[in-house]
Amino acid sequence: MDFELNAEQRQILSSIRSYAKERIAPLAAEYDRAARYPREQLAGLAALGMLGATVPERWGGADLDSVTYALCLEEIAAADASVAVVVSVQNGLPEQMLLRYGSDAQRQRYLAPLALGQKIGAFCLTEPESGSDAASLRLQATRDGDGWCLHGQKAWITSGGQADIYLVMARTGRPGPRGVSCFVVERGDSGLSFGPPEEKLGLHAAQTTTVSFDGTRVGPERMVGREGEGLIVALSCLDAGRIGIAMQALGIARAAFEAATAYALTRRQFGRRIAEFEGISFKIAEMAARIEAARLVALKAAWLKDRGQKYTREAAVAKLLASETAVWATREAIQVFGGNGYSRQYPVERLYRDAKITEIYEGTSEIQKVVIARQVFGEAAQTTAVY
Amino acid sequence: MKILVAVRQVPDAESRLEVSEGNLDLSRASLVLDGMDEYAVEEALLLREAGLEAELIAVAVGAAALEETLRAALAMGLDRARLLVGELADPLAVARAVAEVARDEQADLILTGSQQSDWDSQALGPAIAACLGWPQVSWCHALQLDGGVLRGRHDVEGGSAAFEVALPAVVTTQQGLNEPRYPTLPNIRRSRSKEVRSESIPVTLADGWQLVAQGSAAKARLGQRIAVSDPQEAAAELLSWLEQTAKVRL
Repeated sequence: MDFELNAEQRQILSSIRSYAKERIAPLAAEYDRAARYPREQLAGLAALGMLGATVPERWGGADLDSVTYALCLEEIAAADASVAVVVSVQNGLPEQMLLRYGSDAQRQRYLAPLALGQKIGAFCLTEPESGSDAASLRLQATRDGDGWCLHGQKAWITSGGQADIYLVMARTGRPGPRGVSCFVVERGDSGLSFGPPEEKLGLHAAQTTTVSFDGTRVGPERMVGREGEGLIVALSCLDAGRIGIAMQALGIARAAFEAATAYALTRRQFGRRIAEFEGISFKIAEMAARIEAARLVALKAAWLKDRGQKYTREAAVAKLLASETAVWATREAIQVFGGNGYSRQYPVERLYRDAKITEIYEGTSEIQKVVIARQVFGEAAQTTAVY
Repeated sequence: MKILVAVRQVPDAESRLEVSEGNLDLSRASLVLDGMDEYAVEEALLLREAGLEAELIAVAVGAAALEETLRAALAMGLDRARLLVGELADPLAVARAVAEVARDEQADLILTGSQQSDWDSQALGPAIAACLGWPQVSWCHALQLDGGVLRGRHDVEGGSAAFEVALPAVVTTQQGLNEPRYPTLPNIRRSRSKEVRSESIPVTLADGWQLVAQGSAAKARLGQRIAVSDPQEAAAELLSWLEQTAKVRL
């Protein structure tokens, strides 16, 4: 076992850390308050190559290994979780789906501009009536000449209305998991419209909308993977996506931990620094312990991925532990700050609001437990597809 | 033409520094390319991007760990690097080593940061110029190159002045000159295979110098806070604290 990063990994990490601290973190509070989509931050990260971090160079990416990418994501999330989720979705879902299942023509047309960060991608699986039970999705794709015509609605789409390229899972056949196909839809396509940004608890800058398809016509060249394989295309990337969300959660948790530590060392009550009270120092200690443990599992999942091994179980464990750590640690951080923690003048209330979604999206904590239990009991396949 | 950029390694501003047995212990500090030198690296890149045909070479003198700092400069876009490994005690000895590389490379222009964020000697640039007998412009905040003549502005006592100087020359850089770029991921990866030529140099002090002692001293902060919002009251409290606790004679 080797926990040492190599020189290149350290250099990349230190560079992304500086960038995130200097260019992303200072804007986080303002963008949260204004619920403004972080174009500027994404453009900066695109220039560095971060929006195609794990894509091969051939398609415009930086070809990073999963461990380095995961650590970079933690740095970005520690600066602004809203920016991190867009980076995670872009790298983990549309790009990976196109890379693994797209034709060369699709990779040229869609993957390369996504990897270069010239375009933003969105992942359209969830519907108002279909969440964890992804195989029940209803958005209908009907035959229209040699192409398809899409009717229906997607919900909770990160970067909805802002993204240029949408990977949409639609029903092309019978009910159930095998009647679904994946299509690329471009923002300018006919019949495509977006709801207003949802009013959410947190991640205000990462706008989320409904996406409606009212007779959106797409040619046959827009199908990614084969007809009926859409759910495989979508769900096969979820393991990687879960590492991304785990790292996002860890970034949030670490930001709360660092803020609480600094505060505990400066805030004085009863004539001493509050860090000297066990009630406070134990909170800080437990944050350190939980963050470290969750990070190790997440990095193990990334390491297994780099070795080409199965990491479904580790990714689910990582997402479960990291997201619960984030919610817990941010709540405790507010407690360390006392009344100040409840104020928007300090960062921890935003971190608390941002943390909660990590227990929900890309598979709720309960779904992670379903996934883990299946892995434990050894019945990975042949069961209901869950998201 | 060739541009040499002399870079130094300093502790990250957020590093925790420790002093053990009278010496600064940097073993646990994270060491980075000095911010002042980043302006020098960026300026070399900008000169080339403005159309100059030049090879851009980073140079560093000191510990073997400087290789990572040179790699940071290569990741920003410099072409190759020279590393002179040796424990050197004073800026003049470092300057002599850099001057030696400049002669060897037949460099036309040397850029380096105006000061360092650790020991802050502000001596390296002028000392290199002295070793080579070249003109030097320190604290430069605007620079352009037209056919072998550098024009720009730099800080002087009480303000700033325009200058014009023919190559070869040494220019020291500072904030305001440019906005150093962040290395891109592909450039970091490519820079790992760029050449860093490493050679050992003998431990020497400049002529007439003798090392008597070296050490560092750290003084803990007193952690005294005046928690009064009224400024007059706060000033009165500060005075009484200085007089009674710190024993300052007022």
